[in-house]
Amino acid sequence: MSQSSSFLERIGFFKSGNVGESGWGRTLGVGLISLFYFLPVLFIIFTSLKPQDMALSVPPTLSPTSLFGLIPDHYVFTPTLENFSSVFSRSMTSGGAPEPTGFDRYFFNSIVIASTSVFLALIIGTLAAYGFSRYPLKGNDTYLFIILTTRMLPAIVVIIPVILMFRVVGLSGSYIGIILLYTAFNLAFTIWMMKSFFDELSTDVEDAARIDGSSETKVFLKICLPQVIAGLAATFVFGLILTWNEFLFALLLTGPDTRTVPVAMNQAVSSGGRGTDWTLLASIETLFLIPVFLVTFFLQDHLLRGVTFGTVKR
Amino acid sequence: MTVMMKVKTLATAAGFAAALMVGGAKVASAEDVTLTMAVPDWPPTRIMKKFFDEQYKPASGNTVKLDVDFIPWPDFYTRVNASLTSGEQKYNFIVSDSQWLGAFVEGGYFRKINDLLDADPAFMATFKSIHPNPLNAYSTYPHKSENYYGFPQFPDVLVNYGRADVLCNEEEQKNFQAKYSKKLPCTGEELDAMTWDDFKNVGEFFRRKKGEMLAGKPADDDFYGIAFQAGKGYDFSSMQINGFIWQMGGDTWDETKVPNGQAEGVVNSPEAVKALEKYLSLIEYMPPVARTGTMDIFKSDELFREGKVAMNVDWIGLGEASLDPKTSKVSDKLVFGQMPGTLGPDGKMIRWSNIGGQPFVLTTWTTDSQIKEAVEFVKWWLSPDIQHQFAAGGGQSAIKSVYEDPKYVTYRPWNRAWAPQLDWQKDVWHVPQFFELLTQQQDQFDLAITGKQDAKTTLDNIAKFQQNLLTEAGLIQ
Amino acid sequence: MSAVVIDRPAPQLFEVAPDNWKLAILAGLVVSILAALALPASVSFWIVGAMAALVAAAFVVNAYRRGYYGGLLVAPAIAVLFVMNIFPLLWSLGLSFFAYQSNQQSIRFVGLANYVKALTNDLAAPANWHALINTAMFVVFTVAAQMIVGFLLALLFSKQFPLRKYLLILVLTPMMLSVVASGVFFTYYYDPTFGILSYVMNQFSNEQFILMDNKVGAVAGIVFADAWMWSPFVMLLVLAGLVSVPKYLYEAAAIDRVSGWRQFWNITFPYIRGLLMLALLFRTIEAFKLADLVILLTKGGNDTLTISYHLIRIANEQNKTSEGAAISYLMLFMVIVLTNLYLYIANRRSQGA
Repeated sequence: MSQSSSFLERIGFFKSGNVGESGWGRTLGVGLISLFYFLPVLFIIFTSLKPQDMALSVPPTLSPTSLFGLIPDHYVFTPTLENFSSVFSRSMTSGGAPEPTGFDRYFFNSIVIASTSVFLALIIGTLAAYGFSRYPLKGNDTYLFIILTTRMLPAIVVIIPVILMFRVVGLSGSYIGIILLYTAFNLAFTIWMMKSFFDELSTDVEDAARIDGSSETKVFLKICLPQVIAGLAATFVFGLILTWNEFLFALLLTGPDTRTVPVAMNQAVSSGGRGTDWTLLASIETLFLIPVFLVTFFLQDHLLRGVTFGTVKR
Repeated sequence: MTVMMKVKTLATAAGFAAALMVGGAKVASAEDVTLTMAVPDWPPTRIMKKFFDEQYKPASGNTVKLDVDFIPWPDFYTRVNASLTSGEQKYNFIVSDSQWLGAFVEGGYFRKINDLLDADPAFMATFKSIHPNPLNAYSTYPHKSENYYGFPQFPDVLVNYGRADVLCNEEEQKNFQAKYSKKLPCTGEELDAMTWDDFKNVGEFFRRKKGEMLAGKPADDDFYGIAFQAGKGYDFSSMQINGFIWQMGGDTWDETKVPNGQAEGVVNSPEAVKALEKYLSLIEYMPPVARTGTMDIFKSDELFREGKVAMNVDWIGLGEASLDPKTSKVSDKLVFGQMPGTLGPDGKMIRWSNIGGQPFVLTTWTTDSQIKEAVEFVKWWLSPDIQHQFAAGGGQSAIKSVYEDPKYVTYRPWNRAWAPQLDWQKDVWHVPQFFELLTQQQDQFDLAITGKQDAKTTLDNIAKFQQNLLTEAGLIQ
Repeated sequence: MSAVVIDRPAPQLFEVAPDNWKLAILAGLVVSILAALALPASVSFWIVGAMAALVAAAFVVNAYRRGYYGGLLVAPAIAVLFVMNIFPLLWSLGLSFFAYQSNQQSIRFVGLANYVKALTNDLAAPANWHALINTAMFVVFTVAAQMIVGFLLALLFSKQFPLRKYLLILVLTPMMLSVVASGVFFTYYYDPTFGILSYVMNQFSNEQFILMDNKVGAVAGIVFADAWMWSPFVMLLVLAGLVSVPKYLYEAAAIDRVSGWRQFWNITFPYIRGLLMLALLFRTIEAFKLADLVILLTKGGNDTLTISYHLIRIANEQNKTSEGAAISYLMLFMVIVLTNLYLYIANRRSQGA
């Protein structure tokens, strides 16, 4: 232990946190590691650009460009954008004319359902987290734990009662039903996550504000909330990612009009009377990645800034 | 407002809202009939929908709409099963694997159609023109009884896909002749005449490493002789193994002999063990993915289309992709024959094989006005004209007058194997316990395929499990 | 901490007031029972729902009038969770005491028989245990891999450096993929004929390389795919903690010449402990539910059947609803014990600190 730690110390491994800035050397090192980590995704993106008959070529084609002769020719493919148009319109029978696949609708559904439910969960969950953190109820921990248990069982166990309930209430195949379900699905994580952020805040400032006569609402909105923006951003991103890719509830509780992309994606896993259509699957996934990628990218500053206002306990 | 008044108002409001929700969903005018259908998303069902939209004119003068929910294949069972068992009552028609019949008939979801057939002689005539083997497989529960449920949507059989360019190559022909003193099968008729031993020879003969000569050229990648389904998922080994067992004189548990038929002693009979051993002995000549237990019908098809194997036994339903140059590297080098058989003691070929494909069935909550239109629709679908169009568009037909028409074999290159194979089709169990039987059997077969246990142990385990389960269910006494 | 409590007498039991929650419960119960007895299910369902809403409203008014902000803030979340999650859970808990198959119309009370079967039946019990042991193995391997890799990645990104933003998003991308797409592509990566892994390995040896034809390889393949997808989750949580450590603490430590290791342990670690715990908790819960990758990569072959996949087979494919419910509640019990253990240890540590 001591040996390894002394080695790690020497290379400055533990000097973490905002202890200082490092230069391009670190960029290079981290860049190589990140790129390596990213390779499987990159391969999927490249596959979406391949001509259909090159998807399974041996040796695998790895790059759309030879990088000025750096990559041998048999690893290089000629990129095409054809696959992306076939996501939205292609022949569904052998030799038939191209017809719409419905994916424009599925993308729209995914965006509406995921964003609405994550926002709802964030609003309701943050209120609850604040409540749990600042006004502990009798048996506070028990409530929190029960909330957590809602995430512990495989979805398949609760799905039959949920389908039954949806049918009785008439929510089956509607937007409201799946949105409410996803909201509940996200709540446990939102509450636990936001509570841990509220717990980290110092209560001194809040108490001072209260003595100055600020209302409870004002304390929450003007003092506490701005300090946990990083937490909100992180929670939003996590919730979005989990909801974005949820499969089982979407399969069983959406109808043809409200179907989301993860369900429809299997069109490409068993496509047109054969197995996986690799380029089509890659194109769907690549397109499907873009919105959540952009949201994460633009919220990233918040993710990294952390608790910026400096009023931290301890 | 008193308490009671408050409660009353609330109750009335709630009741009113409920009446609106419930009532609103069920109103349908007599002139507009919508038939809702759950189907797997693939060309045969897309064609059906397309024909309906373009050509169907209801005789009743009503406006009939076919509302089709195309569900991706991998989730089809999960979606349909959940919809049926939760009582969602959403679909009027459902495309169903033949094995599912018992489970969903017993549950009260699939509607018996005998009364509809009896009431309409023309319908009955059409129905009876279906070849008896597919008819038994797709429509009867209990299996081979006179209780009818379904109509063929896409009937399917296993055929042998061959690579003509390698099989007919002169040098390969010469070498094969020298090695086995037999002609390397090259034409469709020669493929038809193959036994599993010949199939094995092809497997052994065409095992080439990258760079070794293959049909006069160095192979650009490892090449294998044969492939067929040997995967753990769904029914992706049973459908092949059953054929071996039936051909070699063994049997699976026979539900037409309930309650006297046994599993123990039948399922693990010496003939069945021999048949499974034969099946397993072929695995080593297949591409390496077979040893992982994930060689399903799609994988072997993919390997064939990518030009990695000389012969592949697979469903006709996957054939279209191999003809399409966009998805197939062998599209111009194809030859098709019947699935290999076994020579009987009298020297005649025995060709038993497990039937594939799917029927579609009516559900019990379909209303009378819907049923009227549904029957008309089914009659239209099974009419020779539409069946011919369907076959010309890549489908198959089990209607006698259609597949016996000389035109039929010209639609697709594998159609020459279709009519003779229909006579040799059997089906697995239709009992409600099918999924338990299937899962356990697939698990056991997987252990054998991946080399973890021998054929005898495998079939003993399956027989013991089936005997136990079916006795508990009262199907064996 | 608690807010100003407005002193206001509680209403009498039969006084009709918006905050009289006792009366609301009483009325709600009576009406619900009457409705359930007298009216068809599709109507009584709505009436019971309306009564629940009435009770909830009374609670809210009561909480508001007396300044129980805690209850007020928590109420909407509890309501949504109750309807969408807890209610179905209780329903399936109830089902676990019946003999019920969702594709048959009969239902019969059998007490603990389903639990007894799951734990003692000659055929069912060993299969359950075996699947559970496999799951335990996957939980240990995947969670450990995710925690370690996620933690190391977070350390890499904890400092500011040029282009950090652009590199971080690369590492975060795997968890944004849908499991279907990434799982199917992993079958490609591992495929012995077409896949990249075998292609690379075959360059070094004459033997055909097949990753997934034995248990070690199959488990490694699944764990790698899962850890690759979800390490970024751990990383993001740890990183959020790391960047929240105030700079002045490090500056003070630098002046005191505190060693790197001690600096990490005494300054950094307290800031990330809570979030590490959260990551560990959620990843463990998710790991217990591991099924989709197994289905896509091995179908449970090579002895990789997990309890979740086993459950899908029983409850969904074979429609043995109540048996599946019983197994899942046994599983829930184990997860609860385990998570409580985590929380207990975490709380003791934080009190000791």
